[in-house]
Amino acid sequence: MGMGRVTRRQLTNLLGACGVAATLGGLTFGLPALNHALPADRAVPTDRPYDIGGGVSVVPPPGARLDLTDTRPGEESGTVLFRVGPVRYLISVQPFDGSLGAAVDRLRRRITGNSGYQVTGTELSVATTDGLRGVQGGFSGPGRGGRYVVFVADSRTIEVTVSGADLDLGRILPAINRSTATLRYAPEPAG
Amino acid sequence: MTAEPRLRSDRSAPVQPGAAPDRRLPGLPAFWIVLALLGAGGVRMTMIVTGYVREYPVALLTSAALFALLAVPFWFVVSELDFLEREPPSLLLIAFGWGGLVATSASIPASGALDDIIAKLGSPHLAADWGVALAGPTVEETAKALGVVAIVLIARHQINSVLDGVVYGATVGLGFQIIEDIVYAMGAVALAGQGDTVEPVVTTFLLRGFVSGVWSHTLFTALAGAGIGYLVVRGERSFRTRLGAAALALFAAWASHVLWNSPLLRDGLGNGAVALLAVLVLKGLPPLVLIWLLVRSAHDREADYYAEQLAKLDDAELITPAERRALKAGSRRASARAYARARGGWRARAAVRRLQRAQARLAVELSRGTPDLSRWSHEIRRQRRVLNRLGHPEAVAPDGKGPWRRTASAVFSTALALAVLWAVVSTLGGG
Repeated sequence: MGMGRVTRRQLTNLLGACGVAATLGGLTFGLPALNHALPADRAVPTDRPYDIGGGVSVVPPPGARLDLTDTRPGEESGTVLFRVGPVRYLISVQPFDGSLGAAVDRLRRRITGNSGYQVTGTELSVATTDGLRGVQGGFSGPGRGGRYVVFVADSRTIEVTVSGADLDLGRILPAINRSTATLRYAPEPAG
Repeated sequence: MTAEPRLRSDRSAPVQPGAAPDRRLPGLPAFWIVLALLGAGGVRMTMIVTGYVREYPVALLTSAALFALLAVPFWFVVSELDFLEREPPSLLLIAFGWGGLVATSASIPASGALDDIIAKLGSPHLAADWGVALAGPTVEETAKALGVVAIVLIARHQINSVLDGVVYGATVGLGFQIIEDIVYAMGAVALAGQGDTVEPVVTTFLLRGFVSGVWSHTLFTALAGAGIGYLVVRGERSFRTRLGAAALALFAAWASHVLWNSPLLRDGLGNGAVALLAVLVLKGLPPLVLIWLLVRSAHDREADYYAEQLAKLDDAELITPAERRALKAGSRRASARAYARARGGWRARAAVRRLQRAQARLAVELSRGTPDLSRWSHEIRRQRRVLNRLGHPEAVAPDGKGPWRRTASAVFSTALALAVLWAVVSTLGGG
């Protein structure tokens, strides 16, 4: 073997290693790229309740589109993300053994756990038309503002977070508030 | 004419002579590419962990300690499988690093993306029910199997048997398992929203460690590694056959993982502890039995091969027929050590351990055709003299002596493990 000459073994080895790196690259960058290339939102009827999961439903606000990447309905829990123009309207239902105060505290900590985010203003008591009682507050982050509402119903917590630019929020929040008031918990009868 | 008794191990792939560790690894392009991928994975995982160090230092330390502890029995089993022809620590470290750094850092974005693709092409309901079952196994089993392929590329000569593929596969899986469990635990801490607390870590540890601990990445990737090992060592078969066998093993690893993650039987058996245990058995037992049979077959094949090498010596001071039989199985090796301790104390046990190690190494050197075997022969004779002085000349446990104690110990350990499992399942599963 001459100095600096690439042997057949080295070439095969190089090709094999490039194949491994390419497959890994396909997983790491190819799948996310394909995901981004596919449309993430889908139309959703806004004239009837949408089942979020865990026995909770909500009537989406007018103009809302379903974000498929963060919407996962389930029997015990569920998440739905609506996009109302540039505003994110996220509702999450999770099993929870605790008081409303503890549930609010938990969400507040998660919000302020994000770098640059803080809770603003005072919290208010709210209720849905179906009688669910909850607590509402506000938060702000880099270039964004937001609103959170927490309900507790039958060992489940229902967390609502709305976020967007202040101007968009001011315009869209009334419709989202009306939607949040339609939150309803109706568990499946035990079979 | 009397037919030669057919060894159980004859059913699995043959063993090639063990190769001496190659010190020229850096000469291969694959070595540098794998090193670069390990570096990139290391940077990515460091960035993730740095966030946890800042936010949840106590929880991170606790989860690292708990899941490292959980890795000990897995590591012990892999080490016992690897007893005869030991793989070089540097390659095992690369395999472990691939699992913990490369496969994890590739799987985090890829699994999420595939889950979203399932939601987009199917529906959010489909993704909620089957996303975890399909996305995780597809991405993770591929990324981990690439780790075994990487080992083949940088040290092809070290894969001498299907068992070597199992060992490298299990090591890649173990690395992946530890890091993934820590990431899951930290995700639970963040979701709990209670600051730097250890409760979510402990819950994750009980769920992933005890309830589903056996059905782990170590097991699945061992199966994939067996297929890649077969592809490499079964040179006398056509490439298409070998590739088919490797693909089948990868598919089996994927299918076992899918079955385990799937929502099947999730609601059919109720919510109690008995139902949860029934699901564990129904979904987990088939792949567990399949993998156990395959690994045992590969292990027996390798053990038979190296025992035959030692039989050629025909020197009872180096190894007796009973010791050769004991050397072939981890349980008999352990029984021999336990029996030596009972008869001659800890010194006798240590001498038997060293004797077994030297005998295994001598078998490997014989297979390599090493001309000068004096180093290992001297070591065996030295340990034999120690054993003679301690009144325990042969490193075996008589039939019926060692095994019953080990069986009783195994039964007790299994009963204890089941009791712990039952308590955990009752607590978590609402028994």
